[in-house]
Amino acid sequence: MALISLKNIFKIYNVGGEEVRALDGIDLDILENEYLAIMGPSGSGKSTLMNMIGCLDTPTSGIYEFEGEMVQVMDDSQLASIRNRKIGFVFQTFNLLPKATAQHNVEIPLVYANIKNKDRAKMATDALESVGLADRLHHKPNELSGGQRQRVAIARALVNKPSIILADEPTGNLDSKSGSEIMTILDDLHKNGNTIILVTHEDDVAQHAHRIIRLFDGKVIEDSKQAP
Amino acid sequence: MILLFIENFRISLTAVFANKLRSFLTALGIVIGVLSVTLMGTLISGLDRTFESSMSWLGKDILYVSRYEWFSGMEWWEVRNRPRIRTDYVDKIKERSNYALTVSPVMQRGASLSFKDKKARTEIFGTNEDYMETITTNIAQGRFFTRNEDRSGSRVTVIGDGIAQAFFGDKDPIGQYIKIDDIKFRVIGVLEEQGKFLGLMSVDKQAILPLGAFKRIFSKRGWMRLSVKVPTEKMDESLDEMYAVMRHIRGLKPGQKNDFAINQTKLFENQYNMLKIAIAGTGYAITLLSLIVGGIGIMNIMFVSVKERTREIGVRKAIGATKGMIMSQFLMESVTICSIAGLVGLLLAYIFSIFINKFFPSTLPITLSIYAILMSMAVGIISGFIPSYRAANLDPIDSLRYE
Repeated sequence: MALISLKNIFKIYNVGGEEVRALDGIDLDILENEYLAIMGPSGSGKSTLMNMIGCLDTPTSGIYEFEGEMVQVMDDSQLASIRNRKIGFVFQTFNLLPKATAQHNVEIPLVYANIKNKDRAKMATDALESVGLADRLHHKPNELSGGQRQRVAIARALVNKPSIILADEPTGNLDSKSGSEIMTILDDLHKNGNTIILVTHEDDVAQHAHRIIRLFDGKVIEDSKQAP
Repeated sequence: MILLFIENFRISLTAVFANKLRSFLTALGIVIGVLSVTLMGTLISGLDRTFESSMSWLGKDILYVSRYEWFSGMEWWEVRNRPRIRTDYVDKIKERSNYALTVSPVMQRGASLSFKDKKARTEIFGTNEDYMETITTNIAQGRFFTRNEDRSGSRVTVIGDGIAQAFFGDKDPIGQYIKIDDIKFRVIGVLEEQGKFLGLMSVDKQAILPLGAFKRIFSKRGWMRLSVKVPTEKMDESLDEMYAVMRHIRGLKPGQKNDFAINQTKLFENQYNMLKIAIAGTGYAITLLSLIVGGIGIMNIMFVSVKERTREIGVRKAIGATKGMIMSQFLMESVTICSIAGLVGLLLAYIFSIFINKFFPSTLPITLSIYAILMSMAVGIISGFIPSYRAANLDPIDSLRYE
């Protein structure tokens, strides 16, 4: 069974009286432990698709099943729970809380998962260790380099042991060296059994993936597998 | 749930202290609100205490027969021709009244007291041997004068604790001679310490003489009142009877107005309660106004806070916060600002109350303090509600894109 199953998904915005089809009849199945890259020019709908998969957005029509359950009939707390436990988000701009330390940033999803203080610290430290930041626990984001910040963000995405990592242009704000470090971490996560979904417009980033989806004008125009 | 609560509290504290000046200015209204309501409470508690002790000196079971009403709307010219109260009324009242337990005439005037080189300007009272029955104070040392001493015009005096302290210190005043307006009197007793009457006039500085000597030496026709002790449980009947007795003594015909006054401490109480209502009314009005203004300020700053942290809200939602969790985070923030403001107000009130206590005894009422804190929390909830609700319902995608 597919982990994620999108059937005939439409997302239609009304901009100034004009209908804009951000997603125009998407059919897509994503299996467990896939390594997928969503590509396409800006405006092609890749971010919308990403938000849809991440349960941040709901389709105008179509059926989205997450682990066999219909997403569009879920209420706010069910959606929040999926985002909290099943999906880890990694953003292009890191989106860390500037006033919180690395450890505290990583602990936030655990707070929403209602995990005890003591366990929280342990889990957060473990997650930060796994991305090689064991010595940066008490640094605030502005005391960290871009690559380190993104690694904190990955630790935050990982800390609740989600099955899916959704990474939206994870290397977009990084130099090539930090970028490749981040990609190595994502590759390792894939090897450990996680499902990785990348949104990118860079070919060399997409090369890490085993399957590439190309979008254009809200439609899937290519779905190809490639050898790692 | 409790974990989220703790986390939210931590976030709130960080947010409040990250913008110290802003939080302070915002919370000023709440500070003033809590300060005014608690200070008002302090003031009233102090007044209550002073009033209680003053009233206990006057005695609740005493009718004061005198020429003038303590509190009346009458013009001076309406009452100035009223006849004096005379000493012979004492026996007449005793004869005619069923309720009067004791009747004590009191004359009063200013005089200067001296002992050796020490001098004091004070009030002296001329009265009879029953006087002690009409006040609640006791004799601390020595004795009160007797009927015979009164009749014979003996030059003896009972002095207030303040005079005793000032003139004799630790020494025994009994048997010593003091001068009242240059006439020697023998001290035979000292009254207990009383404190100040309504915080103004010290009762402890008085000297009490037998009426006989007072009239002979100081004034025959001075201002006089009668203190009539009556049974506490029969106050109303006694008052009615006393009006009848006095009208009879004065020979007033039905339809003629009273040309005397009968006062009670109840009149003080009425007057005092009006004062209290005025103080409380003003206090509550200031409090209400500053809480409304403060609440609007809090709401405003919470809107700003939500706006500033739009992106953070988006991130929090993306990593698993529900609407309720976001809402509680911002509600907690406004409640935290308000509670801190409340505590600051309370602290200021406490400092002020220590200061006020130096002038007249008063305490910060504890229940009112608790209410004041609860009240500021309520303001936090009310004024934080709309901004928090708005934060909770922000679209996560838009928030994540917000710059």
